[in-house]
Amino acid sequence: MATPDQKSPNVLLQSLCCRILGKSEADAAQQFQYAVRVIGSNFAPTVERDEFLVAEKIKKELVRQRREADAALFSELYRKLGSQGILKNKWSILYLLLSLSEDPRKQSNKVSSYATLFAQALPRDAHSTPYYYARPQTLPLNYQDRNAQSAQSSCSMGSSGISSISLYALNGPTPTPQSLIPGQSYQAPGVGDCLRQQLGSRLAWTLTSSQPSLQSTTSKGFSNAVSRGVPRSRREGDTSGSVEITEANLVRDVLYVFQGIDGKNIKMCNSENCYKVEGKVSLSKSLRDTTSRLAELGWLHNKIRKYTDQRSLDRAFGLVGQSFCAALHQELKEYYRLLSVLHSQLQLEDDQGVNLGLESSLTLRRLLVWTYDPKIRLKTLAALVDHCQGRKGGELASAVHAYTKTGDPYMRSLVQHILGLVSHPVLNFLYRWIYDGELEDTYHEFFVASDPTVKTDRLWHDKYTLRKSMIPSFITMEQSKKVLLIGKSINFLHQVCHDQTPSTKMIAVAKSAESSKDAADLFTDLENAFQEKIDAAYFETSKYLLDVLNKKYNLLEHMQAMRRYLLLGQGDFIRHLMDLLKPELARPATTLYQHNLTGILETAVRATNAQFDNPEILKRLDVRLLEVSPGDTGWDVFSLDYHVDGPIATVFTRECMSHYLRVFNFLWRAKRMEYILTDIWKGHMCNAKLLKSMPELSGVLHQCHILASEMVHFIHQMQYYITFEVLECSWDELWNKVQQAQDLDHIIAAHEVFLDTIIARCLLDSDSRVLLNQLRAVFDQIIELQNAQDAMYRAALEELQLRLQFEERKKQRELEGKWGVTASEEEEENKRMKEFQDSIPKMCSQLRILTHFYQGIVQQFLVLLTTSSDESLRFLSFRLDFNEHYKAREPRLRVSLGARGRRSSHM
Amino acid sequence: RAAGGKAGLAGSLWLAPLMLQEVLFEISRILNTGLDMETLSICVRLCEQGINPEALSSVIKELRKATEALKVML
Repeated sequence: MATPDQKSPNVLLQSLCCRILGKSEADAAQQFQYAVRVIGSNFAPTVERDEFLVAEKIKKELVRQRREADAALFSELYRKLGSQGILKNKWSILYLLLSLSEDPRKQSNKVSSYATLFAQALPRDAHSTPYYYARPQTLPLNYQDRNAQSAQSSCSMGSSGISSISLYALNGPTPTPQSLIPGQSYQAPGVGDCLRQQLGSRLAWTLTSSQPSLQSTTSKGFSNAVSRGVPRSRREGDTSGSVEITEANLVRDVLYVFQGIDGKNIKMCNSENCYKVEGKVSLSKSLRDTTSRLAELGWLHNKIRKYTDQRSLDRAFGLVGQSFCAALHQELKEYYRLLSVLHSQLQLEDDQGVNLGLESSLTLRRLLVWTYDPKIRLKTLAALVDHCQGRKGGELASAVHAYTKTGDPYMRSLVQHILGLVSHPVLNFLYRWIYDGELEDTYHEFFVASDPTVKTDRLWHDKYTLRKSMIPSFITMEQSKKVLLIGKSINFLHQVCHDQTPSTKMIAVAKSAESSKDAADLFTDLENAFQEKIDAAYFETSKYLLDVLNKKYNLLEHMQAMRRYLLLGQGDFIRHLMDLLKPELARPATTLYQHNLTGILETAVRATNAQFDNPEILKRLDVRLLEVSPGDTGWDVFSLDYHVDGPIATVFTRECMSHYLRVFNFLWRAKRMEYILTDIWKGHMCNAKLLKSMPELSGVLHQCHILASEMVHFIHQMQYYITFEVLECSWDELWNKVQQAQDLDHIIAAHEVFLDTIIARCLLDSDSRVLLNQLRAVFDQIIELQNAQDAMYRAALEELQLRLQFEERKKQRELEGKWGVTASEEEEENKRMKEFQDSIPKMCSQLRILTHFYQGIVQQFLVLLTTSSDESLRFLSFRLDFNEHYKAREPRLRVSLGARGRRSSHM
Repeated sequence: RAAGGKAGLAGSLWLAPLMLQEVLFEISRILNTGLDMETLSICVRLCEQGINPEALSSVIKELRKATEALKVML
């Protein structure tokens, strides 16, 4: 048997033919020719070269034939085969053996097994037809004759020849009915098609549509192969117009529908938006229902697919949306995997045809059961897709999160998985923002929005805002505010404070951050972990920011300096300044020059305790001249100023500074009144003694004193109120808050509250305009008094002077021996004195008018005070009128303070 | 035979072709292919040379049918 392997295939083939036919080479020539042609035309195998598969098939076949011992033996032999290395094409030989194998048991099976053998040998595409159809022409005539004869010899042949096959006795492994089959194929070409249709080629469908009757007739002959194709309807010979659909067809259609492709009989009906079996088909109701139920899967698949396809084209969809689509795609891939398994199952059956039997074939019922879980998944996904239409960014994440609130654990785990994927970009944004302060959000998906038009000086206030719609529902408002603050602080540090170094703790926090588990942690109970991260970052960043502001930029010191200079806290400096400025400011405003005043300021600084202050602070202190209106004196336009820049300007914004200046103005005026009254008092003290010799003035002077005292009392109370109740208390509150502040926002807020309170209490806000006007009127009266008094003193002193001079001259003349005084002189003197004395009543009346006016204004002021809404003002009125001096005169003031309070609250 | 199989594993190749033949013949017998030893060896060689087994099996079946037809005829 040791024939050398170098023999060419042709030679081998020839010898094979000779052996099988049992003839000599010459006689077998024709068969040899034929063999060569067949082999030449079907060169490539159409089945996959999987030897394992073939071995399995063999085993299954043996088991099915209930020859388990043989199956075990085969396994053993196969193993041995596997261990040797000579055969390279094991698959080939095994396949050959399998295809030549025959079942020794039942005869009926043999026929069908031949059918399957034929089917297996067939290539699966449409090009396989030449084999069957070509054969009758290429066969030698005698062969044909043989066929014809054999066909004739069997009387019950005909179009239903297949059904009679089983009647033939079959002897041995090579039964005669082989001849029938080619005969049948010759006589009834449709039968071969039926075979193909029954047993596996997809495209052969198109050939069967003209052979409805054969379908029903063939159903009888082939037991196993046909069982799947039995139509449920009992109409067997019915060849009327309706096409009967077998369950196998439906199964195949349904598999196509699962992918969203229209099957042969089940098509998408657009008007009703569902898959329906074509109307003309006659199907039992249960089949129809089952099919529709299965087709729902296709509809769900289409919906999801449409969404992902649309979205993948949309360029502005953003990262969150893309991850959502990717997650959906992943799920769809799993689904496709299932479909391919089902498909291969179908193919496998088609391969094996008969061998598998009913137990493992694909039916609609089986499909229903197997697709139940995927259907739930797809339903959830389709619901998600619906809910998320048109959303993107954080909104999309919120929408998905809403769906995790379900009791069904299967659905919940699915949606949570998707949510984890979807929120990953959001968390990325978040972490980058928190730890680096960077925001790269081209599609506006993150809930922190940055306004690129804002410049650095407004960075803290205006540049970063919260985009409320994009806050995912699993992040609370408070957390998002904190997040905003953290990022803002980092950017503030980088850009405004020019501080690039993150503190070591911040780096540590950043490093301990995210893994891919963070997203999952976020939604399970470890929301605490997320909260902790945010809190830690917040704490660290804010602390660092405050440190930088205080140490490098001396924020708190500047605040104190504001208090000292702009709010007149540094008493000695202010007093000295006022002393120095008095002669300057008495001039009209247009004659003032800034540099003069600045010089005076510096002198004042150097002469008082202010010189020991931080030079940084002193250099910011400056004089500012307000706008000049006609008739202004220097007092009206003078103001101090404090320059702020850099990070400090974030707290002391321009509005804040203007508030400060208004308060300064008010305080400066009040101080000036105090100053004036001090002058008046000084005048009193100095001149009282001098003017003792003019008793006619005493009445006027007395009145003057009384008025001045009243005014002094008034101003004292006002000053007390301003200094202690307004300034000191608010400042204390501010200072406490600032010391305890945890971040810059707190400081800014506290500072604004401080300023607001001061302005309200100093009657500078819009509500108290009337009160303020009254107060100004009071101040004006004081100035009037000063003027009047000055005039009076001047006159009086002049008069005194003249009288003294007169007396002196008289004395001197007497000393010289002349007449002390001449008659004309004396007369002149008397005339003058009389004039003077006549002017006294005028002065008196002037004073009286002044007093009256003043008291009227004060009364009105008091009335307004008692009806104000601010409690401290009401108490001020109480203090101002402590001895009820005004109450006696003004009936409106007679209502008690408690009632006044109640009355004002009703207003 | 089992012992021979193990010997085959040990690598004595000159024994292996014989073993191989026996194994394949045994398989063929189990599967009732009706091939005798020599035909089988021709087939094996043809397969090893790359012939499509599908085509080959159809050829063999045809030839058998022809034989049977001849027999019937005769």
